[in-house]
Amino acid sequence: MNHLKSAALIMCAVVFAASLLFIPQQNAYAQGSAALSIVPKKTYTIEAGKTVNDTLLIRNQDKERTLNLSLRVIDFSYTDDSGAPKLMLDEGAPKTSWSLRDNIDIPETVSIEPGSSESIGMSVTIPENQGGCSLYSAIVYSSTSSEGGNVGLSASGVTLVFANIPGVCKEDLVLKRVGALNDSKNIDNGEYAYFHLDQPKRIAYTLQNNGNVAASPVGSITLRPWFGKEIVINNINPNGSLALIGQERTFVSCVKLKGETVGFNGTRAESTTCDTSGLWPGFYSVELAGYYGQNGNNTKDLVGSSWFIYMPWWAIAILVAALAFITYYVRKIVLHIRSNSSKAKLKKRK
Amino acid sequence: MRTHINQWLIHLMRWSHLALELLLIGILIALFIAPSAGAAMRLRERSLYMTNDEAGERSSYVLGFRYMSPVPIGSFELLFCNDPIPYNPCEVPLGLDVSDVSLTNQTGETGFVISQKSTNRLLFTRTSSLPGPDRSTYTFDNVLNPLDIEAAFAVRIKTFESNNGTGPQVDFGSVRGQVIKGIQIETQVPPMLIFCLAEQVEYNCTGTNDIYHSDMGKLSPNETLTAQSQMAVGTNATAGFVISVVGSPLSAGMEVIKSLDTPSPSKLGKNQFGINLVANNSPGIGLDPEGDWANATAAPNYGQSNMYMFKDGDIVASSPNVSLMKKFTVSYIVNVSPALRAGVYTTTINFIASGRF
Repeated sequence: MNHLKSAALIMCAVVFAASLLFIPQQNAYAQGSAALSIVPKKTYTIEAGKTVNDTLLIRNQDKERTLNLSLRVIDFSYTDDSGAPKLMLDEGAPKTSWSLRDNIDIPETVSIEPGSSESIGMSVTIPENQGGCSLYSAIVYSSTSSEGGNVGLSASGVTLVFANIPGVCKEDLVLKRVGALNDSKNIDNGEYAYFHLDQPKRIAYTLQNNGNVAASPVGSITLRPWFGKEIVINNINPNGSLALIGQERTFVSCVKLKGETVGFNGTRAESTTCDTSGLWPGFYSVELAGYYGQNGNNTKDLVGSSWFIYMPWWAIAILVAALAFITYYVRKIVLHIRSNSSKAKLKKRK
Repeated sequence: MRTHINQWLIHLMRWSHLALELLLIGILIALFIAPSAGAAMRLRERSLYMTNDEAGERSSYVLGFRYMSPVPIGSFELLFCNDPIPYNPCEVPLGLDVSDVSLTNQTGETGFVISQKSTNRLLFTRTSSLPGPDRSTYTFDNVLNPLDIEAAFAVRIKTFESNNGTGPQVDFGSVRGQVIKGIQIETQVPPMLIFCLAEQVEYNCTGTNDIYHSDMGKLSPNETLTAQSQMAVGTNATAGFVISVVGSPLSAGMEVIKSLDTPSPSKLGKNQFGINLVANNSPGIGLDPEGDWANATAAPNYGQSNMYMFKDGDIVASSPNVSLMKKFTVSYIVNVSPALRAGVYTTTINFIASGRF
């Protein structure tokens, strides 16, 4: 009996040891890279019934870990009057009327070696019966989220994809407002103001897009002071920014642009900021002369005007002093004249 | 004599006072009530159709517009420029050439021939006659498209009573054109957006500390739990970038630690979950954004020291145009009430970097 027990124990030990050798080890999950470089925006002009084939360049910035991404196409809209997209990330989100979700073909996953890049193929197909005129969606690249801890972190990148379909479109941009913006720490924000204590650097115009096209206006803005030379802002949309369908979008231009060539990731890029405008105190009229229109559609005008007064404290002080000076001497003259007149009347009575 | 002069001066002062008031009223009317210099007679229903809009390729252009002024028209000029504004200097669109075009079709007001051609200018002439109300179109072939796919170009149209393009203009207007794809100009670099995220990241995203979660410790109503992570972002795209935050509050089953809906200070004993992207001293956590570039900033709601917030889908940082790499440190705070049920509270926060439109 004892021999039997020993034999059974030995057999169990052998089986157990063998299982350790032959059952594959389950490794703890290894987090991949969360450092990527992507193309932020793609724009195509595609006729109905045609397909465009393109590539998306994705780079793994991490030099040690593989970048594992899952890709999917979602719709987006606008967040506010800026160019920030509102991403519709819910899996069950309904399609928008401008959706490209069913028209973009991309792989579902991609793996990129450390420090490497990959050009993945994508295609955009527009159905034969597709009406106009702007369709857009976004490609989301999601890295694997981490397990462990209270707060797991996940990094994603997004490429905005726009397709313009030639044809008769409804283009309708309504100018809501034009004028000078007050100073703001965030150069993309600010409020319209008629009176400025600080030198205005930015002129803006707000458009309501009532059409079915993501529109990009062009044109110029002219500032005309009461005294002095007029200032023309030649390009009111230097970045080719868009007003999405249904959006009230504010476009901001600098009175004086400062360009700077900078190094970025081994390349050169042109960055622009608003420089000091050099405006003198006074009254300014603002005139917008803009245009918009797709290929083959009517070119439409955007015309509007406004005004603002720039009056810093030192100019107010000078103006008050000048008025006080004038008032004092005018009053002195008037009093002198009245005094002489009274004396004359008295003399006459005598 | 002197008396008369003085009396005259007094009367003059009264009248001059009145005149000054009238002048001021007139100026106010002129500035604020009178309409600004509006559009002169612009040609209406203007359009340009390019049969081939590929940069650097030959194309036919169909130009359409409606004459407005009831004045005989003998000629009209087309001037191709980068800028549509008539009184601005005309810069020729790079690569464009219309010196070899031919007029192949015309509708509406017809009888025109192209009498003058240059690289960016065409003059159409005919025997002067009064235009009708219908829209006119003019098709001319063999236009060499511009090369620059980044910017639109314009065709400035002017009509004249004379039949040789001289004298005062009658009507004017511009149409807009844009080319696509085509030759990649060597100086242009494809736009890219670089983004990375971890507990700690290198400034230029070449590495991270390989930790993608935060363990905030044991929840207690007497202590604010904190954690931080970092993300670095930069782009050479002229439209800039935005970073959004997506996720749900800390939860354990049905129990949820409420997120802060508006920027709020940290308060012990209250259920709070929030983040910000700046340095704080209450509690002492976080760093201000690092990097020389001023374009990229934390969003106003997430850029206030000692004020925290978390709303699913909010933009937490952005740049309106090109931005060198900028590193943001995200501070997380959690406070709980004594009544909170025990459990393991977790969440996953997704930071999404995207371009702007």
